[in-house]
Amino acid sequence: MYLAPEGDEIEIADAAADFLAQKMPIDRLHKPGAADMSETLRELLGEMGWFGLAVPAERGGSGLSPVEHALFFREVGRQCGPVDLLAQALAANAAQDTGLRQSIISGSRGVALMVADGDGYRLFGSDHADLALIVTRERAQLHPLEQAALESRAALDPANSLRVADALPDAVDGTSGETIWRLGELGAAAMLVGLAEAALDLIVEYAKVREAFGRPIGAYQAVRHTCADMAVRIEAARSQLWFAAAALKEGRGDAGAHLDAAKHLANEAGMACADSNIQLHGGIGVSEEHDAHLLLKHAMLLSRLFGSKRSLLARLLEARLED
Amino acid sequence: MDLRYSDADREFRARARDWLAGNIPNSRRPPGGSAAAQFDRDWQRKLHDHGWAGIAWPKEYGGLGLTGLQQVIWYEELARAGAPHHINTTYVALMHAGPTLIARGTEQHKAFHLPRILSGEALWCQGFSEPNAGSDLAALRTRGEIDGDHIVVTGSKMWTTDAQYADYQELLIRTDPQSQRHKGLTWLICDMRSPGIEVTPIRTMLQDEHVNSVFYDEVRIPIGNVVGEIGQGWSTALATLSFERGLGFIGDQLELYERVCRAIDLAGKVRLEDGRRAIEDDGIAQRLAALKADTIAIRAMTLADIAESDRTGMPGPKGSMMKLLVTTTHKALSEVVGDIMGWSFLEFDGDRSNNPWTYEYLWSWVFSIAGGTNEIQREITADRVLGLPKAR
Repeated sequence: MYLAPEGDEIEIADAAADFLAQKMPIDRLHKPGAADMSETLRELLGEMGWFGLAVPAERGGSGLSPVEHALFFREVGRQCGPVDLLAQALAANAAQDTGLRQSIISGSRGVALMVADGDGYRLFGSDHADLALIVTRERAQLHPLEQAALESRAALDPANSLRVADALPDAVDGTSGETIWRLGELGAAAMLVGLAEAALDLIVEYAKVREAFGRPIGAYQAVRHTCADMAVRIEAARSQLWFAAAALKEGRGDAGAHLDAAKHLANEAGMACADSNIQLHGGIGVSEEHDAHLLLKHAMLLSRLFGSKRSLLARLLEARLED
Repeated sequence: MDLRYSDADREFRARARDWLAGNIPNSRRPPGGSAAAQFDRDWQRKLHDHGWAGIAWPKEYGGLGLTGLQQVIWYEELARAGAPHHINTTYVALMHAGPTLIARGTEQHKAFHLPRILSGEALWCQGFSEPNAGSDLAALRTRGEIDGDHIVVTGSKMWTTDAQYADYQELLIRTDPQSQRHKGLTWLICDMRSPGIEVTPIRTMLQDEHVNSVFYDEVRIPIGNVVGEIGQGWSTALATLSFERGLGFIGDQLELYERVCRAIDLAGKVRLEDGRRAIEDDGIAQRLAALKADTIAIRAMTLADIAESDRTGMPGPKGSMMKLLVTTTHKALSEVVGDIMGWSFLEFDGDRSNNPWTYEYLWSWVFSIAGGTNEIQREITADRVLGLPKAR
């Protein structure tokens, strides 16, 4: 029993943190045209093998587990990484055709993330992606995008562009079952935990240097106590994230319940910490040049993906745990 | 990262579950008074006689020498079996006086006191807070004058839980009259039967008298009862508080999940004013489900903490964060049950067994104030976890 990264897990997380801070830093989002995963970034990530972490070795992946998947996406979340990055990794796990799977793992073909919305669809991802991944608890399917009639919409979240479609061409690949959904739910939860941690880091550093009434604002209890509450939320969400990742890895019967709890806590931590980070920064917190709004807007997208509050709470009410 | 229990862990759980199934007291704990204290002593005596006392205490001091994780398993099984609540009159002795003596006491202290604590023979109370030193503990003024081989104590303590039943007290006093704040304090073992001690109960909003004022009029305490060094009492007191904030609420942490499940069962039975079952109300259902997620995470946080300290041999700095989360979750659960129960939540006779949910609601303020208020826990988190500039 050990519920924190250790050994190789720490090395993988550190390598991911370094790589992403260089190639996908959050401040990229202050420049125009930075939404989504660029072709260049996709190929770089593919070269490093980040999309195939949880794909078995005999299927061309790294043969690691949901634990490494969660560690990686927590770092992606810290940099406000786009959700098509998650779609690409999920597609690497979902694709059955060997050639297609290899092209997704290597990053030579791009995948965007698609969600059903009423009778239509919403697509998050780059123009360069030629496949859309739709994931439900029952199945994961890859649809070709060449023939799809897509209409651009203005997106609130600078990390991802948004297009909508009324209909989709038939799926070309995919798999049934809940495995891909669970990797998606875990990945989104991990991104939210990383995002919440980034928000807390921003305000703690600012509170040490910004002065008001002759003292750093971090010396005032109104600021200190809110930061402490952020830390408590994050600690709980992160502990539950590790529990859920290990439960998935070990195939526990109650892994789904732990995962739902992890996503719910991550939704709450991501939104609450992004909110408090803006508020405690004061005026600068609402300026476009600051990172604070980027975290909030991305948390709003992530907390709707792979389990929104309402659907998770309905499931949790019935959940039963093992020892 | 892994969630696997060892064979020894699984065997321990099975043995604990099996024993508890046949040994939970048949009679209800009396609501208060010395009968309740006797009930607690009897239960601890029974645990001791059957080899269940001091799960994680070292073997050389009469414990079982098991791991922190096995202690977690024990508390989980206690909650599952519906065993007597672990925060009772044996709590101070077992959860922080004993561990403080193990960490800082002399061999004589350990040899005399630890067996009596484990067997339930000796109950302890905590003499830290004073009328003018609560959250600001270092402002304490109860003084001790050294007189030969004794320290003569005069002053008063407040909010002392179970002082009227306790045999001994963790007593923190000022032995250097010139000293300020954290300096010049001394941590003493005080025999509560010493001449010059007067205990006066303070009635609380729970209609009970579990907390007290304690007055000391030239109480003579042997110098041999000093734990740590004379004048270094703050260091010993911090050790006591780290035990209290570290594992002190472990039973509640693990039991909260079971209590949320019981509240969900209750909501499935109780009908609201409009005739629907409470669980059919979206607001109530969502609050219960969110609390369930919180309690699942509290368990994960507990296991993460314990596994870390089993590995490093040190309690983590997260006790304050845990207390914040557990106490706020505890209160939120009581509040939603109040909304489920409606009018019947307003029936209360002061007996935990008769009106358990209302009792827990009122208890939630004890929980969020005792052992360091939630405001103090936020201060500690801001200082020690986040490294923010000092507020004071």
